[in-house]
Amino acid sequence: MNNKFIINFQPGDTVLHKLTGATKVRLFVVLTVYLIMSWDLRLILPVAIAGVVGLFSLKPNWKPIKFMFAFIVILNLFNLFLFYIADPDIGTKFCASKTVLAQFTDYFYVSGETLWYLFTRFIKIIASFMVSIVFILSITPSEFAAGLYSIKVPYKICTVVELAYRCIPDIVRDYQNISTSMQARGVEMDKKKTKLFARLKQAVLIIVPLLFSSFDKVGNIANAMDLRGYGKLKKRSYYAEHEMTKADKVFKVVYIVGLLICIAYIAYKMFSPNYLQLWYPFV
Amino acid sequence: MKKALIEFKDFTFQYKVQSKPTLHDINLTIYEGEKVLILGPSGSGKSTLSNCINGLIPFSEKGTIKGSLKVDGIETKEASIFKLSKVVGTVLQDSDAQFVGLSVGEDIAFALENENMPRSEMIPKVEATAQIVGMGEFLEHLPYSLSGGQKQKVALAGVMHDKVKVLIFDEPLAALDPHMGMVAVDLIDRICRDQNKTAIIIEHRLEDVLYRPVDRIILMAEGRIVADMSPEELLRSELLDQYGIREPLYLTAMKYAGCNLQNQEGISDLAQMQLTKENRDKLEEFFRRQTDAYKPELGEPVIEVEDVDFAYDKDVVVRNVNCSIRRGEKLALIGKNGAGKTTLARLVCGINRPTKGRIKIRGNDYMALSIKEIGEFIGYVMQNPNQMLVKDIIHDEVDMALKLRGYPQEEVEAKTKRALEMCDLYSMRNWPVSSVSYGQRKRITIATVMALEPDVIILDEPTAGQDYRHYVEIIEFINQLNSEFGKTIILITHDMHLAIENTDRAIVFADGEIIADDHVFRVLSDDDVITRASLKQTSLYTLACMLGVSPEEFISHFISYERMVKAGE
Repeated sequence: MNNKFIINFQPGDTVLHKLTGATKVRLFVVLTVYLIMSWDLRLILPVAIAGVVGLFSLKPNWKPIKFMFAFIVILNLFNLFLFYIADPDIGTKFCASKTVLAQFTDYFYVSGETLWYLFTRFIKIIASFMVSIVFILSITPSEFAAGLYSIKVPYKICTVVELAYRCIPDIVRDYQNISTSMQARGVEMDKKKTKLFARLKQAVLIIVPLLFSSFDKVGNIANAMDLRGYGKLKKRSYYAEHEMTKADKVFKVVYIVGLLICIAYIAYKMFSPNYLQLWYPFV
Repeated sequence: MKKALIEFKDFTFQYKVQSKPTLHDINLTIYEGEKVLILGPSGSGKSTLSNCINGLIPFSEKGTIKGSLKVDGIETKEASIFKLSKVVGTVLQDSDAQFVGLSVGEDIAFALENENMPRSEMIPKVEATAQIVGMGEFLEHLPYSLSGGQKQKVALAGVMHDKVKVLIFDEPLAALDPHMGMVAVDLIDRICRDQNKTAIIIEHRLEDVLYRPVDRIILMAEGRIVADMSPEELLRSELLDQYGIREPLYLTAMKYAGCNLQNQEGISDLAQMQLTKENRDKLEEFFRRQTDAYKPELGEPVIEVEDVDFAYDKDVVVRNVNCSIRRGEKLALIGKNGAGKTTLARLVCGINRPTKGRIKIRGNDYMALSIKEIGEFIGYVMQNPNQMLVKDIIHDEVDMALKLRGYPQEEVEAKTKRALEMCDLYSMRNWPVSSVSYGQRKRITIATVMALEPDVIILDEPTAGQDYRHYVEIIEFINQLNSEFGKTIILITHDMHLAIENTDRAIVFADGEIIADDHVFRVLSDDDVITRASLKQTSLYTLACMLGVSPEEFISHFISYERMVKAGE
């Protein structure tokens, strides 16, 4: 199953894989806040680079990642283009300066600030993508649940997340079975032979038994969990959450430093009268 | 004096949603260290009884309780399911659904996680329990890579903690092949003995459970206990027949021979049984009795499989498959899960296509036909009817395939009516699909396939999860399709009983290859085939060895005799 989905069910053996779920989830949360809060490339770029290094260190299966990366880049470039069309003035709004590089019409002009803003935005999205993909590739669903629990998310929510992952392959298998039986009964599913609308209608036909067969299972799983004392205590422990390693301690320093930077930056943003949203180096 | 662990006193239970009690006046005491089998047809209340013991009733499934039930001294209606789960461990029927964790280790640890046990204590416990059930090597494995038997072992390990005194097994054999079933019965026996646990086994496959001794059998029917006796007494009585429980095959043979069961010692344990002189003579006389040699009438080949290989990507699933299936034949496809029997069925239906070799239908290569076109000739009934039924009303379900093929309205009506009548569903045609029983749903799936009037019907485990009465109902119906309408029947099954009594020929798969293609009796007397295909010898084989006659001839004789008796009825 590891090859079919980008989700890992078994822990890998690189440094990042071997971190505890708690470290991975905390690092991810801190980095996400970190990336969202600023438009300062001095802050963003190191994370983007770290993300690329992290991704390589995981020795992933590149095929789906390449595809996703290309998708993100193309979508993003289009997005930046729309941003510019909608408001060529966008960068200058976040800065104190205005450096006009070329004027086409009254409305359309290119400013250094706008170019810089769009560039920053692009890097920011790439960095977020890197952080997310490294997070997804390095964590197993069980570690994810344990990690969420470590940041005080109620464990019933963590279990829901875990069970959802547990059921994906079952649902895929059921879907295939139902789809085969439909085909044998005469529902044409060949992409070339049927129109999109007809295919959609057939998909709905499959979803009904799929839902029923899934509901059947829900009752069973609930009973199995009750019988093993699920929900008895306010707290629970996690088998998948191993003890902290040296690497965990190093990364703990990293995310604490990251968190402090976030707090400091946000405080600065809220209270300083000199705060400019976009860092523009060419003033 | 043995200590009573479970005590029902005048216990009655009624589900909230039902108008009548499901359990009536149960009085039952189970002692520490006992191994008890609870036997009974579907709907007899045996699962309800076990759910009362483990606490699902009344905590998850609401209802009213009258009388008293004490488990290890705890009055259950005043306790909680959590308190009971410390004393009672339950292995549910569906070993797949109860797999909560994402790996073997995690699933075994689940109960310990809920206790908030620190991981350092948890790990050695998980390893030790995994070792006991023989899954020590598999801690990292994912649920999808395990066989049914392995999942069940994990489920057992997951409920087996130090303090648990009672282990309940709800239909432990339902999803296992014959050999795995034997291993499971042995494992249950060994664990309960070594760990000194009390075992309650709920099953209707009596013969398989008796592979290892049980202390007592509780027979239930319509919510009451109708018998509470030793296996010996039960087998000698007429109760099995009366309450629709399938008797062991060797017992059927002994009854045909007119053996005196009352004097026969050790009747519940064939391996240890010493036949009395009288019974031995009777069996020998039975073996000499004249029977009409049974010869099925066969038509021309309808499906020919020639040198077929099939591979997913590069994994070869089946190789070098050669077989020819004739009109009117009744055939069993036998083998372990994953050995290739379902793959062959899918290949024949055109769902998958051979990567090498070819398949001919009515003499023509089928590559040019679509799945839809093949569906008019070969009907494939899947194991789980819930995966096949998509409409609300039975009638719509059955006419769907016809409408999709664009038949004119009158023809659709006529064919639908015929299929519904064949399956004895015509009077129910306007009922909602969701309101009928599992067995009836199975019949609907057969009707949906029959609507296209195929010549060949492939049924995947048609009797799985059915009690004996429903089993007989389905089998009689399938046999009728063969005898009255001349349909070729292919059964994919684990059930050797089913294969012996209802098919003429068996194709046995092991590791993607056909290892035997012969009369059922010959296949089931071949030790090599039995081991490789994870089958087990039937008790007829053992009985024949006891008499010192050829097992092959004995089984063949039994089959002919049985067919004669059935035909005479």
